[in-house]
Amino acid sequence: MDERSFVAAQDFLLEAKKYWTTEIYGALKADYRHKAAKAAPGEPAEVRAMLGETVLYRYYAWLERHLQRFKYSGRYGLAPYHRERREALLAGLADPGGRLALDPDLDVPKYYSAVDIHQHPGGVSGEDIAGFVYERGSRSTTPMLGARHRDLHQRFTDILAAEGAPSRILDMGCGFGKSTRPFYDSFPEARIEAIDLSAPCLALAASIAAEDQARNVRYRQMDALATDYDDAGFDLVTSTMLIHEMPPEEIERSFAEAHRLLAPGGRMAHLDFLPASEPFARFIHYGHGRRNNEPFMRPLAEMDLEGVLAGLGFRDIEIQPFAEADGVDTVDSAAWRFPWAVVSARKA
Amino acid sequence: MARSEQTFFEDEALDRAFGVVMALATEVQVLRDRLGALEARLAAAGLVEAGELAAAPGDEERAAGEADRRAFAAALLEPLLGRQSSKSVG
Ligand SMILES: C[S@@+](CC[C@H](N)C(=O)[O-])C[C@H]1O[C@@H](n2cnc3c(N)ncnc32)[C@H](O)[C@@H]1O
Repeated sequence: MDERSFVAAQDFLLEAKKYWTTEIYGALKADYRHKAAKAAPGEPAEVRAMLGETVLYRYYAWLERHLQRFKYSGRYGLAPYHRERREALLAGLADPGGRLALDPDLDVPKYYSAVDIHQHPGGVSGEDIAGFVYERGSRSTTPMLGARHRDLHQRFTDILAAEGAPSRILDMGCGFGKSTRPFYDSFPEARIEAIDLSAPCLALAASIAAEDQARNVRYRQMDALATDYDDAGFDLVTSTMLIHEMPPEEIERSFAEAHRLLAPGGRMAHLDFLPASEPFARFIHYGHGRRNNEPFMRPLAEMDLEGVLAGLGFRDIEIQPFAEADGVDTVDSAAWRFPWAVVSARKA
Repeated sequence: MARSEQTFFEDEALDRAFGVVMALATEVQVLRDRLGALEARLAAAGLVEAGELAAAPGDEERAAGEADRRAFAAALLEPLLGRQSSKSVG
């Protein structure tokens, strides 16, 4: 497939996704408001009973599923596009220097290989070009943000920086380093370790860091549930869009691991998706998880995070909505948006 | 065996047919984009004037395209008649 056709097709799919995000979601929400005015549902299941069989909702759901499917797998999908360019892409990776450490013997957790996350065929570690596929795909994950999608990571970093500059940082589930980059940029004096299960993502991350000439970051292939770092060696353990990819038991294990790695008073902060308790928001979010091959979105949303964190010995536990851009309404957005939230706590 | 795709409509045929529509719509946009680029390059090279292709075609040009239009419309809509093109049993 030629470059121009690929771009035209992906642009078209993104435009269709924007229409879905604003108009179709907007119409669905209006329909819900209208129906809920008579009898307000208290549970997502009641919202499903109210909307699930309507033609509008069926198209809403179909489009959410299939626009993503086309994005990755259609004739002009990300997967075939990058496969055709495999050799050139891999040859274009910059020499990572000492920034990359892979572990070919690493065992990945069962939940990780069970589904092709985001409808990415093979998932983010299924083939050597998977990092490139994921990187390209991530540019249109938040459809209304466009090129500003990178800013949201900087906003998260800025929130954490407001309480002083950490000097030893761990980014768990760093992917191709989109979440890690603002940390090594914002804290040049800090030492940043970034870990992920996916070798193809890490290779791309280290290549980007080499091009950035970053001297304070290292990407390592490691399971966030069981790292090889010493106790109490970090003052910030963070993740972005990691915990919703894990089942509750593994989330708890990753929190326990973070607790072990933190120095006393150190902070753990995860940027992730947590819908409000309002039933329409939950219904929409649970459906999103199902349709996007993210089966643990819902269990995370139903977890008692405060209870779990308190049980592990964390204090100053806070769960706050997060605005991914200026002017977004985190409570009642007219357009579909991810229910971004920051889960933060300190080691006592 | 490939696993079955998720379904959203009461009749799964609609799920699949709408997929065909979206694939075609994507292809149409790819073509529109290519055509626009071609027109822009032709205009830049002075082979067509800007806006020339957007102007209404003359009678002669319309007549020249008629057979093609008729064939396209027929091919597109013929399936709606539900008629056999070849003999089958049952
Ligand atoms: C949605 S991506 C987010 C990547 C990155 N933080 C960002 O913001 O772009 C989630 C990442 O978590 C990784 N991951 C999932 N489970 C993990 C685990 N147990 N240990 C380390 N990484 C994990 C995946 O490989 C994937 O790269």
